[in-house]
Parts: sequence; C-alpha cells; structure tokens
Amino acid sequence: MSTYDDPASHGGVPDRAYARVGDDLTATVERVRGSIESVIEGKPEVVRLALTVLLAEGHLLIEDVPGVGKTMLAKALARSIDCSVRRIQFTPDLLPSDITGVSIWDQQRRDFEFKPGAIFAQIVIGDEINRASPKTQSALLESMEERQVTIDGRTYELPSPFMVVATQNPVEMEGTYPLPEAQRDRFMARVSVGYPSVEAELQMLDIHGGVSPLEDLQPVAHAHEIVKLVEAVRGVHVSEPVRRYAVELVAATRTHPDLRLGASPRATLHLLRAAKAAAALAGREYALPDDVQALAVAVLAHRLLPTAQAQLNRRTSEQVVLEILQHTSVPAAPGRQSGFHGLGRTIPAYPQQPPRSL
Amino acid sequence: MSGRARLALCAAAATLMASCALLPLVAEPTWLLQLVPLVAVQTGVGAAARRVPLGRALTVGAQALVTLMLLTLVFARQHAIAGLIPGPDTFRTFAALLRQGADDVSQYAIPAPVTDGIKLMLIGGALVIGLLVDVLAVTLRSAAPAGLPLLALYSVAAGLSGGGADWLWFLVAAAGYLMLLLAESRERLAQWGRVFGGAPRSPGAPDPGALAPVRTGRRIGAVALGVALVVPLALPGIHGGLLDATGTGVGAGNGRGGTISAVNPLVSLRDNLNTNDDRQVLTLRTSSNDISDLYLRIVSLDDFDGTTWSPAQRPVVGVPGKLPTPMGLSTEIGRGEVRTTVTAADTYAQNWLPMPYPPSAVKVDGRWRYEPVGMTVVGDHGQTTRGETYRVTSLDVRPTAAQLAAAPEPPATLRRQYTKVPAALPKVVARTAREITAGASSHYAEAVKLQDYFAVTGGFQYDTSVKVGRGPDAIANFLKKKEGFCVHFSFAMAAMARTLGIPARVAVGFAPGTPQADGSVAVNQKDAHAWPELYFEGVGWTRFEPTPTRGTTPSYTQSDTPGTSLPDEALPSKGASSAPSAAASPSESCDGALRKLDACGSPSAAAVPHPEDDGTDPWWWVLIGLGALLVVAVPLSPLLWREELRGRRLGGHGRDARGAAAHTLAVWQELTDSAWDHGIPPDESLTPRKAADRIVRLGRLDPVAGAAVHRVADAVEQVLYAPRPRPATGAAQDVRRVIEALRATVNTGTRLRARFLPRSSVRVLWTLSARWARVRARVAAARPTPRRPSGQRG
Repeated sequence: MSTYDDPASHGGVPDRAYARVGDDLTATVERVRGSIESVIEGKPEVVRLALTVLLAEGHLLIEDVPGVGKTMLAKALARSIDCSVRRIQFTPDLLPSDITGVSIWDQQRRDFEFKPGAIFAQIVIGDEINRASPKTQSALLESMEERQVTIDGRTYELPSPFMVVATQNPVEMEGTYPLPEAQRDRFMARVSVGYPSVEAELQMLDIHGGVSPLEDLQPVAHAHEIVKLVEAVRGVHVSEPVRRYAVELVAATRTHPDLRLGASPRATLHLLRAAKAAAALAGREYALPDDVQALAVAVLAHRLLPTAQAQLNRRTSEQVVLEILQHTSVPAAPGRQSGFHGLGRTIPAYPQQPPRSL
Repeated sequence: MSGRARLALCAAAATLMASCALLPLVAEPTWLLQLVPLVAVQTGVGAAARRVPLGRALTVGAQALVTLMLLTLVFARQHAIAGLIPGPDTFRTFAALLRQGADDVSQYAIPAPVTDGIKLMLIGGALVIGLLVDVLAVTLRSAAPAGLPLLALYSVAAGLSGGGADWLWFLVAAAGYLMLLLAESRERLAQWGRVFGGAPRSPGAPDPGALAPVRTGRRIGAVALGVALVVPLALPGIHGGLLDATGTGVGAGNGRGGTISAVNPLVSLRDNLNTNDDRQVLTLRTSSNDISDLYLRIVSLDDFDGTTWSPAQRPVVGVPGKLPTPMGLSTEIGRGEVRTTVTAADTYAQNWLPMPYPPSAVKVDGRWRYEPVGMTVVGDHGQTTRGETYRVTSLDVRPTAAQLAAAPEPPATLRRQYTKVPAALPKVVARTAREITAGASSHYAEAVKLQDYFAVTGGFQYDTSVKVGRGPDAIANFLKKKEGFCVHFSFAMAAMARTLGIPARVAVGFAPGTPQADGSVAVNQKDAHAWPELYFEGVGWTRFEPTPTRGTTPSYTQSDTPGTSLPDEALPSKGASSAPSAAASPSESCDGALRKLDACGSPSAAAVPHPEDDGTDPWWWVLIGLGALLVVAVPLSPLLWREELRGRRLGGHGRDARGAAAHTLAVWQELTDSAWDHGIPPDESLTPRKAADRIVRLGRLDPVAGAAVHRVADAVEQVLYAPRPRPATGAAQDVRRVIEALRATVNTGTRLRARFLPRSSVRVLWTLSARWARVRARVAAARPTPRRPSGQRG
C-alpha cells in the first residue's frame, strides 16, 4: 500500500529514481548496508542508524551490555568501507598522546618528528571509552568536534570522512569514568544494539559458528564514495516546517519538568543533519518530520539529564523524548505556528519553569 | 446539461410546485403565471453567478438583489428609480401593500380575490422560498435541508386552507421535492464515477451515467408518495396525516385533541378570550339584502347567578314544521321574512343550531329537537352541526322606537322570571343603572341609555385580554375598570336591565359575517359574539348592542337618540347590495383591532366550542413556519456547517502552486476531520504518513481506501516538505472515497453522529474562543497601563 516515493523507509527497497544522490551512490549505501548486515544479524535499524551517522558526519556512541556486538558493529562498518581504521582500547592508563600523537626528537634529522596517534584514521573505534581517564577522553573529544589535532602549535587535519565509533558498557561501572554531558554532546547519536531475536541468534550460530564473520568482510565502498555521499547529504532540502519542528522538539526538552538539563543547540544541528542523512538513505531529496521523529530518541536522549525525582521514578530520558514527541504537534502548514488552524499547542505542553541550577 | 444546472432547474421547479399548494387559497391562478418568469430569472441569475464563478455569499447576494428588483418591477414600478431600482419610496409601498394584504387576508375567506397585497404576499413569499431553496440545494449543494423551506411553504398553504389541503397539491409539492433530491443524488453519484448496481464501465463504452440508480430512485419516490397518500386512509387514527396535525400545534390547548366534546354554552365572566382561531365556521346564503342585522343566535342564557349566565333547563319537543310566533310579538309590528341557508363547516360542532332570531321555520336533517321557550333547536343524542346544511326561515322584525317606547308592562310571570337577580349582586350595579337611566320615560328609553352608556358615552374600552375578576364582583369590577369584551358588556347590560325591571337575557351566537365574492356570507370563529336581549311586550325579545366596535347597533335604538348612537359611516347602508366590498363588510368594525389578532375575538372559547383547533391567522402561520424552520435549522446547523466546510475544502482551488498547496492542505484537513467525525480523533503529533497509517488502522479501511489515504498524505508531504512539490491530482476524489469507506465501516450510531453532530464541529468553538482571546489580548494591550504611584512625595 505504500505509495510514498521512498518505500525504503517502510522497509522496502529504496526507489531507484532518486535524483540527488544518484543511482551509484544509492547503490553504494546499499552495498555497505548489506555488508554490515551480513555481520550484524537482525538489527537493520541499528545498522541504518550507524550509516546515517556516518553520512551525517557525526560520531556514534554505542552503549550496551557486553557481548551483543558493539565492537562487531563498529568493525563491520569500518571494514566495509575501504578506508583507514584504527581501534583504541581505552584503559585507565591510556594517555592523551596515545590518541592524538606525539612529537619526538629525531636525532638524525635533528628535528621533532610528529608521530600521529590512533586518531589519525578515517574510522576510529574507541572501545570502552568510559574506562579511560577524563583527560584522555577529552583529548579524543576535542579532535572529534574540530576534526583536527593541534600539537606543539602545529595543526594536523584529520582525514575525511572521519567518524568516531565509541562503545561503552552501561554495567560494570566500577573504576570507570562516565562521559560528562559536555562530551556526550559531541556524539551525534547513541544507539543500543540490544539482544538479537531468537531467530537471528540461531541464524548467527549457523553462519558464524565457526569463523569470525569479520574475517571474510571485504570493503564494498571506497572512502571517496562516502565523501560524495556526505556531500549529497548536505544538499538535502529541509523545509521550514521541518526545521521548526526540530527546534520545537529540542526546545521542549529544555522546559520538560522531568529533565534537569535539556538538549543544546548543537543537538538541534545534529538532529537536522541526521534527518537529512536519513532522508538521503531513504532515497528522498527532502527531509520529513518522520525522519526527525525516527531519530529523535537516538540523537537527543543521551544528552538529557533526568531530574533526581525522575530517576527515582525510573523515568529514562528515552521515555521523556518519546513523551515530547507525542506532545509536540507536527507543523502542518507552512509559516504557521502549528497545525490545524493554529489552534493546536505550540511548545508549552509543559509549564515554563525558571532556569534550574544543576 | 451540467449537474448544477439540472439541480438549479429542479430547485426552481420544486419551489413552483410547492407554490401550487397556495392555488386554492385565492380565486384566480394568474399570480402563478406571473411567478414562473420571476422564479426563472432568479434561478438564472443564480446559475450565471455560479458560472462566473462568484463566491457563495456573492451569489446569494446577487440573487436576493435581483429578487428585490423583480418585486419592485412588478409591484412598485411607479415608486422606484427607473422602475427597477428600489428606493425608500419602494419600501414604503411594499409596507403599505403588505399591510393591505394582511387586511385582505383577514377580510376574505378562502378563496380570496387576488388583490395587490395578497399577490405581493404570494409572489414575494414564493420568491423568498425559492431563493432559500436555491441557496440550500444548489449553492450549498445540500438538497435535503432545502425541503424545510418547501415544507414551510406547504404548511402555510395547508394550514390556511383549513386543513382541507387537497391531496393533489400534496402530491405535486412532494413530487417537486423528491425531484430535487433525485437531481442532487444523481449529480453526486455522477461525480463518483462508476455507479453501484450498474455494470462496470468499460473504457470505450458510452458513459452510462447514473441512470440505473435514478430509475430506482424514481420508483422509490413514487412508492413513498403513494404510501404517504394511502396509509392515512387505511389508518383512521391518523386522521388526515401528518401535515394536518401541524395545524393543531397552537391554540387554546385545552385538550380537545380530536374528540368532539359536548358543547358547553356556559359563558362566564371570568372566561377571557384567548383564541387565535379564525376559521370559517358557517357559510350563509340569505335572501336578505342587508346582512347587518343577521345575528345568528345559538342559545339564550336566561339564568343569572351573579357570576354566570346559563341556559335554563327546559323540555324539548320535536321540531314542528312551522314554529309558533315568538312570544310577545304582536301583529302591529312590521316584519319581513328572511330565508337563510346555513352550511356549517366540518370542523364546527355545536349542538344548538345557530339561527337568525326569531325563526319561523327550520328545515334540518338529523336528530334535532325544538325548545319552545327559548326558540332554539337543540341536537339530540350528540347531534351537532358538523357539516350540516339547514334552511331557516326567520322573521325580520322591524319595530319602531315609538312602538318600543309605548310597550306595556310584560306579563308578571315572565317579568318575575327574567328580572331575577341574585342578592349577592353588588349594589353598585343597580345604583349605576339608576344613575345612567335617570330621567328616562320608559323602559325602552332606559335600555337605549344603557346601550349608549356602554357603547359610546361611558368610556368603555373593548379589550379581549382583560381579566375582570371572579364571582359576583366581576360586574362591579367591569363597571369600574371599563375594559372588557362582548361577554362583559352583554352580561353587565342584561344584569342592569334586570335591576331596572326590564326582562333581560343574554344571547350567544355570531355577529353578522363577511360577504363573499360568490354572494354568500362567511361567518368566522372571530364573529362569535354575545349580546343582551331585552323583552318588550308587543315586540318580544329585542336585541341590543352595548359592545363598542362590535356588531351593529339596531336601528330601533338609534332614531330617538341620534346624537349619542354609534356613528354608522363604517356600516353598510341599509338595503345596500351585499356584493363583496371590503368597506361594506360589517366586520369592518373589527378593523381597528386587527393588529391585535384576537381583539375581534369572541366568547368562542366558552360559548362557541369547536371540536378541533382550526385555522389560525395567516401571520401566525408565517410565524409558525419560521419558527419551525428555526427549530429544525438549529439542530441541523452542525450538519449544514460541516457540509458547507467539506464542500469548500474539497472544492476547486487556485491555478497557481500556492493555490494547489492550500487546496492539498485543506483536503488533508478534511480527511482528518472526517476521520474525527467517524471516531478517530486527530493527533497533531503525528506526521502525515503516520496519521494516514493511523486512520487506515483505526478506521479498518480496505486497501483501496487505505491507498487513497496514503496518496493524500503523500501529496501533503510534497506540499509541506518538498523543495518542488510534485503536483497531486484527485486528492478531493480520494478524500470522498475515504469518507465513504469510513462510513461503511462504522456502525449506524456513529454514522448518524458523524452526519448530524460531527465531532470536528468543535473547531468552531475553538476558533471562536481563539478569536475572543485575541480580541481580549488586543484590548488589554491597547489599554494604557496605569502608572504606579511612585513612593516619592511632592
């Protein structure tokens, strides 16, 4: 029954008639996706989100219990693309210079020589990022945002595309350094892989029982193809109602009574970029509120701090974001405050509150 | 012919056909011929305006304007600018014509001659109805409510023609309405493309149109009409059908409800008139040239208990072939003979025969008995005048004043019986009587003085709404307040005559009626009257007329007192032809009180019973029609609003991209609202495609309708979010299809609710409250904020 021009977003095969991204680019995306999905069984939405973040030039935070394939996902993504990959195992004794690199004295040339750190790769996998000391974490996070490294007054550009896929373990928190809010904010999206379904797990046993699936994984796309895709994503049209909708959603997090800290303007930016990437992935040349809605939890939830009361009530930020989605009306008319004769609510679904101190 | 043109044509035809019901009300059908071109022009203007196309409001305005100009052209050409443009003069003319028409309507019985006033009422009314029907059925595209104005028109006609509306006119009016409905459904079906019941259209085959359902519709309509006509005949309890019953909605409401109650001639002072009826009850054909003395007496009330006059119980005998000469009439008195044929209306049931007094012979069929003393004819075993035709030969007694003045004392027995007053009668009655009649030389002179006192000199006001009080003091109250109607006047004068020793009784009956075009005399409910009869030896019981503005003053009371008697310019000259003439009508005396509908009323509520509520004043019918329209329109207003809104949203749109976008959004809004009407409340937090999913899921729509929903949602996405919206076509058709599918899935209750009380009509309230809030905010902003008094001094 799907009559939309992007059946992919409903689980079908994407329409080939996508003008902007082009057939070859769509094919590239499909190849990468197929490649990753051959490793990560039964989690198409996670794969999709990972690709979205890649195309939106963001960084991905994978948070889940051990053994569900966090690292596998990161590695599969990295290996499917023919690009440089580095993996950093974060430990408490990891130093910032291990990440960014270090200048050492070359006695023969009588000069300082820059030894690039692990960050100098197109896809950087940061395993168990919360096990490193805050000093090390912040070294990584700085380069994530600025896409450059400055050492001894010299600036080194990071390659493009550049994506950090960090994993962290929400349990076993002893001896870890949870990422502070400011640093979580740098990640475009947080995703939980979750346990596979019984069928998927059985299939996984059948196929990957003996050999590691990563071993056979061959790159299916080249880095410059990804760069082209990223550029195409930048050209996706976002209409005024959708932008307004994103702003309203983010603004609602700032006034929600259950939240101690709302999302930042950077969150709005990330949300829109992710929405553009999702639209491009769906083969559409314009973003829909549906894209925003589909990504809102992944993009916003990890940036929010629930109040102590909400935590006592076991309300998670995901629930809060879902609630905000249900209470924010989708702009249904161009240039209007909100839909339906302007009679619907705008943001004040919740009473305005005075600024809170943390 | 386009569907709309056919619809407009059918609307005009329906109006004209319903107007046919007015035909029996007037004598000539010429006005209808005049109406046809006017309605045609009105409809043509509407069609042209829609063709242009003008907005709906403009279309209606243009039609109303043209209608006004047409009326001006026909009725007030001389008083208009260029014979066409109405000016203030024109409206004055209209007002005068309408007033005249109202007078004429109250004047003439049915069928009335077509005077200008009546013609304006007929044609103007029909045109207004035509305009309403056209607006509802064609401009707003809802033919079903257009039946309301048609029904109002038909009800007025049926009500005025005394419930005897011919089945033929009903058939014509109903057929017109059905035709209109059929045309509308046909157009709607045609819009839907393939018609259920018909064979699927093959691409090459000619368009079968909506013929098959139309044929079925015709059959259903014909059967319905037949049933409507035949079933009331088969069911005696229904009695005349639904339309007849509307006539009994108003009136005294005393629970007469269809059964004919026994007549109670009791006339009590405390009974006030509150009847609105003015149905014709009797039709007379008389040999007399002068009908001003043609009082029809029903019965005489001769027992007076201080409050009430009532007829004495007396033995009755069979009706003799020739009635004896009335008591006390001597041969010296001049007399003539008057033959009168009386036809009582079917609705008039009275168990006394209304007859001119004194009767000398009565020819009547049925179980009638004669009461010799009162000279009345009484129905036996429930015999009433219902539908009776009888011939009465009566004496036209013409005493002179001198003869009356010279009348000797009446016999002692009669005097004893008819001058008895209860001891409880207030002394003021007798005292007033003595004061008035001081200096009179004879009983006759006393009687004339009494009559003049009430009618002319005493300053009494005729007022039917008066409450004089109860008990014996009622007469005293009346004398003090000097307001009342014929019952009070006749009771008071009879009581006072008795205190003066003049034998007196009160007669109840009808004042002279209104001469009609065909030479007959119509006696209406409104002519019911009560008057005193005083006995003079040698003359017998003699009529007096103390009630001002009612009836006619007897000639024998005028000659001796020319200065004080009623001026009779308004009365017909003696011996004048009884040819129809408004001025010659004796009930002209009622004209002063015409504005008060019941001012010319009568003791009918008490003395002249009527088995069923009958014809009401025409203005009442108009009011009732409007009221009914209002009562029906108010509950229907959500339906009408919703239909109008739907039509507007799904209607055409501007040709540019912006217009198309607005149209798409409006169509989407209509889709969500329709879903809301059918129980799927809108969720503003859903994106178009999710909302579409939800509607399909909750509405349990079939795949075809579901695909239609998604097509519309896709169009909305294009409009709202795409950089270059892809033009979408057929969204309105899709929405219509979805609405139909929604209707098919819900149960009957929900369907009815969605139609008559759509949930989405709450948006009106929201809009209003939002507007109100805006206004208040603006007012609050505009108001200067009072400056706070500063804490500083000086």
